Amino acid sequence: MADDAANLLPHERPAPPRADLVIAIFCFVFGTAAASLAYRMPTYTNQGGEIYTAPGLVPGLYGAVLVLLGIWLGVRAIRQGALKSREPPAPSARIDLRLALAAGLCLVFVVGLLGRLPFWLAAAMFVATFTIIFEWQPAQGWRVRLRRALEAVLLGLATGISVTLVFERLFYVRLP
Amino acid sequence: MFDSLGQLGAAFVGFMNPHTLFNVVWATFLGIVIGALPGLTATMGVALLTTLTFSMPHDEAITVLICIYVGAIYGGSRSAILLNIPGTPASAASTLDGYPLARQGLAGRAMGISTSGSWLGTLFGIICLALLTPVLSELALTFQSFEFFWISVFGVVVAGTLAGGDPLKGYIAGFLGLFIASIGQEPYYNYQRFAFGFTDLAGGIGLLPALVGAYGVAEVLQAMRGPAVKTISKTLDSVVPRIEDVLKYWRTIFRSGAIGVWIGILPGLGEDAAAWSSYAAARRASKEKEKFGRGSIEGLMAAETGEASSVPGAIIPVLTLALPGSAPAAVLMAAMMIHGLNPGPNLMIESPQFFYQIIAMLVIADMSKLIFGFVLVRPLIKILLVPRERLMPIVFVLCVVGAYAITSRVFDIYVMLVFGLIGFVMRELKFNMAPLILGLVLGDLLEKNLTRGLVLSSGSLLPFFTRPVCAVLSALTILSIIWSIPAVNAALRNLLRRMLTKPH
Repeated sequence: MADDAANLLPHERPAPPRADLVIAIFCFVFGTAAASLAYRMPTYTNQGGEIYTAPGLVPGLYGAVLVLLGIWLGVRAIRQGALKSREPPAPSARIDLRLALAAGLCLVFVVGLLGRLPFWLAAAMFVATFTIIFEWQPAQGWRVRLRRALEAVLLGLATGISVTLVFERLFYVRLP
Repeated sequence: MFDSLGQLGAAFVGFMNPHTLFNVVWATFLGIVIGALPGLTATMGVALLTTLTFSMPHDEAITVLICIYVGAIYGGSRSAILLNIPGTPASAASTLDGYPLARQGLAGRAMGISTSGSWLGTLFGIICLALLTPVLSELALTFQSFEFFWISVFGVVVAGTLAGGDPLKGYIAGFLGLFIASIGQEPYYNYQRFAFGFTDLAGGIGLLPALVGAYGVAEVLQAMRGPAVKTISKTLDSVVPRIEDVLKYWRTIFRSGAIGVWIGILPGLGEDAAAWSSYAAARRASKEKEKFGRGSIEGLMAAETGEASSVPGAIIPVLTLALPGSAPAAVLMAAMMIHGLNPGPNLMIESPQFFYQIIAMLVIADMSKLIFGFVLVRPLIKILLVPRERLMPIVFVLCVVGAYAITSRVFDIYVMLVFGLIGFVMRELKFNMAPLILGLVLGDLLEKNLTRGLVLSSGSLLPFFTRPVCAVLSALTILSIIWSIPAVNAALRNLLRRMLTKPH
C-alpha cells in the first residue's frame, strides 16, 4: 500500500475534501446555468427542423451530466468530512508571490505590450524584465546584478529578433 | 502484401531527401530538448509546433510533429536520470531506477539503457501499428453514427477512469471539455451557442490555442511556482548500450512493448500510464525484484520500452477511429485535421499512402532518436542547466506566437491565457488534463453522431444499445463508471475474490 502511495504522481494524490466541495458547487452551478441556457435556445421545429438537431440538445445534456457529477462529488466530499475538516495549511507566501509575479508579467506582455510595440521589441522587453526580476537576489552585489541584467537584456533581444526572423521568414507565420 | 511493401518503400524513398532529413534532424533534436527540460511536455511541444508548421505541406508538417512527439517522450528520461525529475510525466517511472543508477556513477549506462529501450519500444510499436491499423480500419468502416457516438463517450469516460487520479474528476474534466467544444456555431442551423453576442466567441474556441494554454502557459506558471532545480549528476560513463542488457531482458522488452502499445491504443491514457504499467509488470515478473527502485537495469528498460511503444500505439486509434490514444496524439490528430487529412476509418480509403508515410515517419524519427541518444549526451547536460528564469519567458513568447499563428486573431491569445489559468487551477485541484483534451477533441464527433443517430432512428435510443458493437461499448462505458465508485469497486472485488477462493 505504502509502495502504491510512493508510486503516485503528484496529480494522483487526492485534494482536500473542502476543495472538492468547492469544485462540486462550481460544477453544479455551471451545469445548471449551461442546461438552462441550452433549454432557452430555439429548436427550429417550427421551420420543419427535427427536435433531435435542436442546438440546445447536446450542450443541455452536458450541463445535466455536469450537475449530476457535481452532486456526486459534493456528496462524496461531505462524506469525507468537507464540512468538518480544518482549513488546509496555507501555501508558502514566497511561492504565491512568484506565481502572481509570473502571471502578472505574462498578462502585461499580452495586454500591455503586444500590438502597441513591434513584436521583437515587446518580446525582448518581456523576456528581459522577467529574467531580471526572477534572478534578482537581495544578497547579490551590484556588479553581479549588473552582469545578470545585461545578460537578460541580451537574452531578450536575441529571443525577440530570432523568434521574429525564424517564424516570419522561415515558417511564414504572422506575428501578433 | 507486395503492394503494401511497395507503398511502404515508396514512402521511405519519398522522405530520403535533404530537405525532409533536415526537418527530421532539427525536429527530433528539438523534441528531445523539450522532453528533457522539466516543465515542457510532449503535448506542449506538439501543440506549439502544430501552429508553427501550419504553412508547411501536410507530410512535412506531420513528420516534424511526429519527430517532436517521439523525441520529447524519449528526452524526458534525460532529466529523470540526471536530475531525478521527469522531463515529461511519461518519464516519472524512469526516475525510480534511472537516478539511483546515476548516483552509482552509472549515468551513462542508464542513458544507454534508456536509448536502447526507447528505440526498441518505438520499433515494436511501429510493427504493431503497421499490422493492426489496416485490420482495425476495415472493422471501423462498418461503423455508423451509433458506434461513433459510443466510441466518443467511451473515449472520454475511459480516459477519466484510467488516466490516473480521481476518476470522478476525470469525468468532470471530460464533460467540461465536451461542453467547451460545443461553444460557437452549431452544425445544423449555425446558431451561435453561448456566444453572448461576441463575434469571436461565435467562431468557437480554437482547439490549439486552448491546448497551448492548458499545457504551455499552465506549465510556465507551474514551473515558476516550484522550487529551483540545482543538483545534477555530472559523472558520465559510456552511453553506448550493452548488447547483453538487451539480450538478457528480451522478455521484459517484449512484454513492456506489448503493454505500451495496448495502453497507447486505449483512449487518452498516454505514455505515463504505459511506463508505470510496464514497470509494475516487469517488477512482478522479475527474478531481481529487490533491485527495483535501487537502480534496476530491468526496471529502467521496462519503463522506457513501455512509454516509447505507446507512442505508435496512441496513433493507431487516431488513424482508425479518429480517437486519440494520448494527449500528444490528440494534438497530432488536430494537426492532421488542420492539414485537411481526415483521420479515422476513411483515411485508409481516401489517402492510403498517408498510412505508409506515417510508418516511414515513425521509423525515421526512431532512428534519428537513436543517433541523438549517442551524440547528444553532453550538450543536453548543458541545456538541462539553463535556469527556468531564462527559459520560461521564452516559452511563453512561443506560446503567444503559437496561439496566434493559425487564425491571426488576438482573441486566440486571450483563449490561451484563459485556458492557461484553467489548466493551472485544475492541476492544483488534482484534475488530470487528458480527459479535458479528449473532450475538446471529441466534442464535434460526439455531437454530430448523436444527433445523426437520433435522426436516423427517429428518436429511438434502441439502436444505441442493441447493435453489437454499441452493446459492447455501452456496457464497457457503464462498467467503467460503476467500477470507479469505490463502494461498488470494493464489493465487486470481494465477490470476485470469494468466487476465486470458493472450495470446489
